[in-house]
Amino acid sequence: MDPLILIGAVTVGGVLIGGGVHFIPVGGAPAAIATATGVGTGTAMLAAGSGMTGLITAAAATGSPLELVLLAGAAGAALMIGITMLIGNWVYIWGVGTVPVSAKVTKDPITGYEQEKYVTPGTEGHGIPTVCFVSGIIGGLLGGVGGGLIYYFLYNGLVELPAFAVAAGQTVSVPAAMVAGIFALAVFFVNSVVASYNIGGTIEGFHDPKFKRLPRGALACIIASLVIGIVGVLLLQGGAV
Amino acid sequence: MSVAGGGGGTSSVDPKQTLLLGLIGGLILLYLVPFVPVLGPLFGALGAVLAIIWGADAIARVASYGLGTGVPSIGYMSLAIGIVGAVAGLTGVVIFGSGLELLGPVFGVVLAMIVGAIVALVGTKVIKMKIPILVRCTVELSGAAAISVLGFSAAIAGSLETAAILTTVITTGYIGLLFILNTMAIQHPFNACLGPQEDRTRTLKLAASTGFISMALVGILGIGVNDIWWVITIIGAIAWFVSISAFIQSSTEDAASVAWTGWWPEEEM
Repeated sequence: MDPLILIGAVTVGGVLIGGGVHFIPVGGAPAAIATATGVGTGTAMLAAGSGMTGLITAAAATGSPLELVLLAGAAGAALMIGITMLIGNWVYIWGVGTVPVSAKVTKDPITGYEQEKYVTPGTEGHGIPTVCFVSGIIGGLLGGVGGGLIYYFLYNGLVELPAFAVAAGQTVSVPAAMVAGIFALAVFFVNSVVASYNIGGTIEGFHDPKFKRLPRGALACIIASLVIGIVGVLLLQGGAV
Repeated sequence: MSVAGGGGGTSSVDPKQTLLLGLIGGLILLYLVPFVPVLGPLFGALGAVLAIIWGADAIARVASYGLGTGVPSIGYMSLAIGIVGAVAGLTGVVIFGSGLELLGPVFGVVLAMIVGAIVALVGTKVIKMKIPILVRCTVELSGAAAISVLGFSAAIAGSLETAAILTTVITTGYIGLLFILNTMAIQHPFNACLGPQEDRTRTLKLAASTGFISMALVGILGIGVNDIWWVITIIGAIAWFVSISAFIQSSTEDAASVAWTGWWPEEEM
């Protein structure tokens, strides 16, 4: 495979992942004690959960055409972040006893529900209101597509090499799938943390004023992914096997 | 003392010492793997533990400035960079010609440090993070991550050869486990000890214990691959016991109220 295609795929994938992070309601420590909107953990953990699930579903579609791998990755990552937000909301609603509400907007942009009245004074909101949930699903879809894209091109580049070729009688080359998977996961982590630095740790979704930092985050992710993509070309050397 | 969010502060451990310990000590132990008969993999695991201690010190220095994303995030990022560098170094070393396969690990560590430097520069120049030591510490962390992954990989595979690591560590999926295991070992010590009374010597005692317990686990992963997996596990477990005892001892000593007044009498409990 042409190394430039791999570099391009890693860069585009990295930007999709980094961009996706800006959509995910990362609440951080304040959300963990229900004093801010979002899932109560950091980006790295959300990236680990949704990124790994997305890559596992993308890897399950190994050997399929590109669009199927991307779709599988997107479905896996979005499903995982969706489940995380849903179960988180159950805890916030029935465990903590708060109303899912955002203090960043007066009305939920999607449902139009009043927000201000339900925000506990002194807090930034609680739980995951509809707009955050929808935003989070979009973020999961973007991240999953990005991860799937990197996985697909690296896997297909690797199986062309003798060391990673598909063994006779098998349909998938496990070594190639593992190398592609771990590399895609690494790109996932780097971009999600870079994006997380850009948003200063926490964000609610596309309605959050911090979302305006997206272009700067995308630029940072382009540079970081480009460098990782160039290093990734070395993988296509296949080692001294 | 160093306060998370405050930044700077003095450390009871000289950063140069941990740098030398992790980078030079780690690499030397890593390269003993192919040259020491029978016990080689043990040195790989010990090199990884040194790298983990180095990484834990680097993360303590950078995270004391308050990254806004928590301590673990930079750990995950550095391990990701370290794994990219290590795997690319192992597979890509053939560009220097055949017969130089042993350069792979060093090439991987250098690649990881370069990528770490660029990503950190993106952080300071593009995202405009105001952490003066971000670049230096990310470079150190990425190097520590790469050495720790390579050291544990060599301990599982029993060799530093690309083909052996590829079949026993990467194809089996252990690389994913090492990703999380080493991240935990590197980021947990400071994440657990941070605060106004953080003492770097005590933090690094915890780093040694997380490193050695990882080593004990890595020994178990080597079952069926190398013959001395049980030596790695037993030495790791013993060293873990010694280091966690030292950590608990110094935690108790530093807890002034306990040290000065003692525990309350038995009958009142």
